Amino acid sequence: MGVPAFFRWLSRKYSSIIVHCVEERPKECNGVRIPIDTSKPNPNEVEFDNLYLDMNGIIHPCTHPEDKPAPKNEDEMMVAIFEYIDRLFNIVRPRRVLYMAIDGVAPRAKMNQQRSRRFRASKEGVELSEEKQRMREEVIQRGGYLPPEEIKERFDSNCITPGTEFMDNLAKCLRYYVADRLSNDPGWRNITVILSDASVPGEGEHKIMDYIRRQRAQPNHDPNTHHCLCGADADLIMLGLATHEPNFTIIREEFKPNKPRPCSLCGQVGHEIKECQGVAREKQGEHDQFADSLPASEQEFIFIRLSVLREYLERELTMASLPFPFDFERSVDDWVFMCFFVGNDFLPHLPSLEIREGAIDRLVNIYKDVVHKTGGYLTESGFVNLERVELIMQAVGVAEDNIFKKRKDDEESFKRRMKEKKKRMKAEQRPSFLPSGQFAPHALGGRDRPQAIQNARHAAYDMRMQGRDQRNMDAAQSLKAMMRNGNGNQSPAGPSNALDSRGVKRKADDSDSEPEPEDNVRLWEEGWKQRYYKTKFDVDVTDDAFRRKVVKSYVEGLCWVLRYYYQGCASWKWYFPFHYAPFASDFKDIKDMFTEFEVGTKPFKPLEQLMGVFPAASGNFLPESWRALMTDPDSSIIDFYPDDFAIDLNGKKYAWQGVALLPFVDERRLRAALEGVYPDLSPEETKRNSLGSDVLFVGKSHPLCDFIQELYTTGSSEGTEMPPELCHGIQGTLNLDEDPILPDKPVESPVPLLRDLTQNQAIGIQFKDPQYEEGFVFKAVILPEAKIPAKVLKPGDWEKSSNGPWRPQLGFNPNRQQAHLDQSAFRTLGHAMNRDRDRQRGGGQYSNTPPPGNYHQGNYRPPHGGHAQMYPYPRQQGPLRGAPPAFHPQQYPRQQYGHQGWNRAMQSQAGAYQHNQQRGHGGPGNYQQRHSRQEDHRGPQGYNSGRSYPLPPPARRYNWN
Amino acid sequence: MAEEEKGEDIVSEFLHQNPHLAQWVESLRGHCETNKQWNARREFILRNMEAFPTIHPGHPSPSLDRLLSLSMVWTNHVFLGCQYPKPVMEKIMEMAEGVVVHEAPVRKTRDEIMGKGKRSASSGSEADGSQKKLKVGCSESESRSSTRPAGRAVASEAPKPGPPPQAVAEHQPFFNRLYKTVAWKLVSAGGFGPNLDHFDILRVCVEAAKASLSCTFVPLRDIPDLPAGRAQREGQVCELRCLTVYLGTGYGRDEDAARAMASKEALKIFQGRKVTVRICRRRFRGRDVEDLVLLDEQSRTSGLPPALSYPFQPEPATPSVS
Repeated sequence: MGVPAFFRWLSRKYSSIIVHCVEERPKECNGVRIPIDTSKPNPNEVEFDNLYLDMNGIIHPCTHPEDKPAPKNEDEMMVAIFEYIDRLFNIVRPRRVLYMAIDGVAPRAKMNQQRSRRFRASKEGVELSEEKQRMREEVIQRGGYLPPEEIKERFDSNCITPGTEFMDNLAKCLRYYVADRLSNDPGWRNITVILSDASVPGEGEHKIMDYIRRQRAQPNHDPNTHHCLCGADADLIMLGLATHEPNFTIIREEFKPNKPRPCSLCGQVGHEIKECQGVAREKQGEHDQFADSLPASEQEFIFIRLSVLREYLERELTMASLPFPFDFERSVDDWVFMCFFVGNDFLPHLPSLEIREGAIDRLVNIYKDVVHKTGGYLTESGFVNLERVELIMQAVGVAEDNIFKKRKDDEESFKRRMKEKKKRMKAEQRPSFLPSGQFAPHALGGRDRPQAIQNARHAAYDMRMQGRDQRNMDAAQSLKAMMRNGNGNQSPAGPSNALDSRGVKRKADDSDSEPEPEDNVRLWEEGWKQRYYKTKFDVDVTDDAFRRKVVKSYVEGLCWVLRYYYQGCASWKWYFPFHYAPFASDFKDIKDMFTEFEVGTKPFKPLEQLMGVFPAASGNFLPESWRALMTDPDSSIIDFYPDDFAIDLNGKKYAWQGVALLPFVDERRLRAALEGVYPDLSPEETKRNSLGSDVLFVGKSHPLCDFIQELYTTGSSEGTEMPPELCHGIQGTLNLDEDPILPDKPVESPVPLLRDLTQNQAIGIQFKDPQYEEGFVFKAVILPEAKIPAKVLKPGDWEKSSNGPWRPQLGFNPNRQQAHLDQSAFRTLGHAMNRDRDRQRGGGQYSNTPPPGNYHQGNYRPPHGGHAQMYPYPRQQGPLRGAPPAFHPQQYPRQQYGHQGWNRAMQSQAGAYQHNQQRGHGGPGNYQQRHSRQEDHRGPQGYNSGRSYPLPPPARRYNWN
Repeated sequence: MAEEEKGEDIVSEFLHQNPHLAQWVESLRGHCETNKQWNARREFILRNMEAFPTIHPGHPSPSLDRLLSLSMVWTNHVFLGCQYPKPVMEKIMEMAEGVVVHEAPVRKTRDEIMGKGKRSASSGSEADGSQKKLKVGCSESESRSSTRPAGRAVASEAPKPGPPPQAVAEHQPFFNRLYKTVAWKLVSAGGFGPNLDHFDILRVCVEAAKASLSCTFVPLRDIPDLPAGRAQREGQVCELRCLTVYLGTGYGRDEDAARAMASKEALKIFQGRKVTVRICRRRFRGRDVEDLVLLDEQSRTSGLPPALSYPFQPEPATPSVS
């Protein structure tokens, strides 16, 4: 979901859903890296069955990372991707299935967003390389040092789109990778791997959903499968909830605000390209041993436990005194549906619903009312009850006016605060008082000689009075005016010169008080609706028919999106044909606006889709005659490819936040135009343009292996049902692969950096999800035999007296083995600590500092902050040096010790995470340097007051897909 | 407005005469097109049909698709603000001749937004000023095309002279700067009052902002639209403009006095809390035109004196510049 704020909101409100991952690091011994044995129990104290990778969330950061230098060539990219998957595999350690899904051709509804991203990306790429070139010249002219320019071509991230050679190559590499791991890695031995590459239509995460949906609808599915889905998009949370699987976890990179980004020119951290000096690199660490490890360079991962989110939601959504029994599962579906109002990839969000303004809470309140009134839920298994949706919309519509007014008020008061702050800052720089009159300061070397002061007492009195009258605010001004006057009288050319110079100076001030983009809509003022329709749609408010059209499309869109999440793609053709959403109050009489989608629609072919989403500048990914259609003035689809396009900032500040006003693609004309150039495709391109199939891989020791081998030897040409008992109840149809990976048949490495696989143990075969008859409805219910996992949240009726204090659960395991100390550890402690610590108030906390040798520069750990807050009484004692590693089953800093009980960690990780998320405004975030060498840093205001993060830069946006 | 209606009349009359076309052309309408867009595009299509002799109404053909595509290029340009490669733009501009669009929305393209960011970053006061000067120098139609290559303004407004729609946004920052310059200048001159050389102050400020004033003088008796019953018939009237934006009008016995009065009027505008550039209706040579006018926050647009010069005509106006 294109709503970065959504995850932030969710993790703040429901903080316990977050669990930090425990990751076993590879050890090194005498320079030999010892691989991790992932067949060992999962250090997270939970066992996952299935791991699903939404590959585009991996491909993007691996091919054009934001926080480290980009890989030099495609081979390095592939290796980076492999390593990333290895890392994830090591954390999650699935036991049954690894499902890798790369985005294939997406439904038409997504095309507008894809177009907009790719048109922008193409322009941004060009701008960046121009800027680089310019800065490079400048720096070199100044005599700076820059690493030699790589010869490599600019990596156009647009090639991460189904149908390009890059994607084809990636699929090959992944096959090799899977075969290699299945043959060599013990953790993979019994895994079934399914690879759904870009030739299979559908967005990655939705292919995964389709797989889960279709598996759980067949009788052999294990209802207690523990799923783990990897990806950063917020809509994965929705998708996970939509499955109604009780054990569903999402893993994603932890988002840390203000991560240092290397300068794209010299590759060093600490400055941006604009300020690049071209200074030689500093040594990292005493012997430059940290050269390759940027501070905090490794992203950490977090789990998002949907079962805990479900607990939260249950508390929030449960309605008492309903005329019918409350069904939590149905209300979860409704909640998911309402989240779509706030934003999704397929529809622009309603102007009045902004997630930051508590839109979802508002919706939930309205929703409860509506359910009470109408006696039913909004949705059922992905089908929408429009009558009830209308009630919700109308309730939002009533508040719309106030929402806009409040938004404006908030904005204004924010601006005012900032202005005042700025003023304060400025005031501190300037002398608060400037003497005037004859005491006024004069420039040295001016024409007027300094004169003797006359009547000093009176002059001083005047100045005092002036100050009392608070006119000295203008002192600076009149002073300047006076000096200029003095000049002007003497030389006629004076004034204009003086003005000139001042003009330049004012200019600098102007740039930050630059007039804001004019907002013609002014939603906070009477008549906003008219203005909105006039400026955004260019229609009069009286044009009711048009407005109904927009609303109808939006209603269709809501139905389409929900269906997409619960039943799969209902129509490959449908899309929302406007750039803006209507108002909630416009949703009147929507009951009959939607009936059914066109059936039997087909996805685009990969190359067709490329023609639909690429700007002409990315035409090099297409065959020549196809490319010509994007630039030839006589092309019959030239209108799809503008050079430059308007961006409506729509109240936002930066161009990339605005709405790109790109024309929509006319599918009929596109297909007609392509008919003429289809014959020009080479066989290889034709192959790339065809729709492919998922491929299933198993290793030799997997029970399914013999079965598949048998299929290959008999060479049956039709699909064979997979026997569910061989593979944890997974069903599907197997078809022979044309160019299969077979045991003992060497697999050639597509990456020169890696060896060919001579001892191949893996086997691959085409796999097709179980099929259901047309019109089959996947029920959105908990399966009958599913066991709901134990509760994690503190029960509302917890009584301290009878149950003792509540112990929050930190990880997956409720009865986690706590750290304990053996005797030698106590001895060490006793040596390092004050013995009479018991008499001191507060808690004894040993040290915030990590064990020596642990490179911690800038590696921010949230609990430190928590410590400083919890122990306001600094104690001066030696830090605990060299804590024995056995001390912590987890990494050091995350564990905390209070002297009241060794095994009572006082703050849940989730709380710590939350701390991480809550940040004040402003404040330079460079606390890291301090942290490294400071051994005993526990002053009451040590960390917690000085360090506040600015709001995370909104710039973190990969364009998945 | 009248012209637009006229265009529509022609179309509906044409369709009335060719009923077989009416239904067909309606089938080409896009689902989400507004009436306004569709009317314009329909006219574009109908006007250019003859250039594509292979189009047979009712039968899909590649040449029809080409015409449709070009019609979309044109509407995308006019209504969405898209820019296409030069050859394409030239072609559609030619084809769009005669199609009138009233009040096309004003859009800012991505390049314009990004370009703006760049300039303010590199404090290009020089570039800024010189650009503006250039605009004053050459005729408006030229300068317009320099800011927006083969601009949509040309197509949509060629039949109706007027300031380009983006002019307001373009000029506002300049006048913001000028406002500050004037304010400072007046402070140093001891405040606004009757005993100042108003013209000199205004001229100095405008020049400090790297632009120039243009003055147009017309003898009072040559001005039409004067309220009847005015006693005076002698004397000169002066109109001041800066960057084509109207600042003020003044009357005096001779040119100098008129100019001083006009400057005083202009400086009055700068006494408010801010100045804004607006498009206003006013009289010019007996007809209503749209003009760029500098206003303070209180002044009403209705009381404007008739214009003496009009820089937005297709043929370059030749004001006598002092």
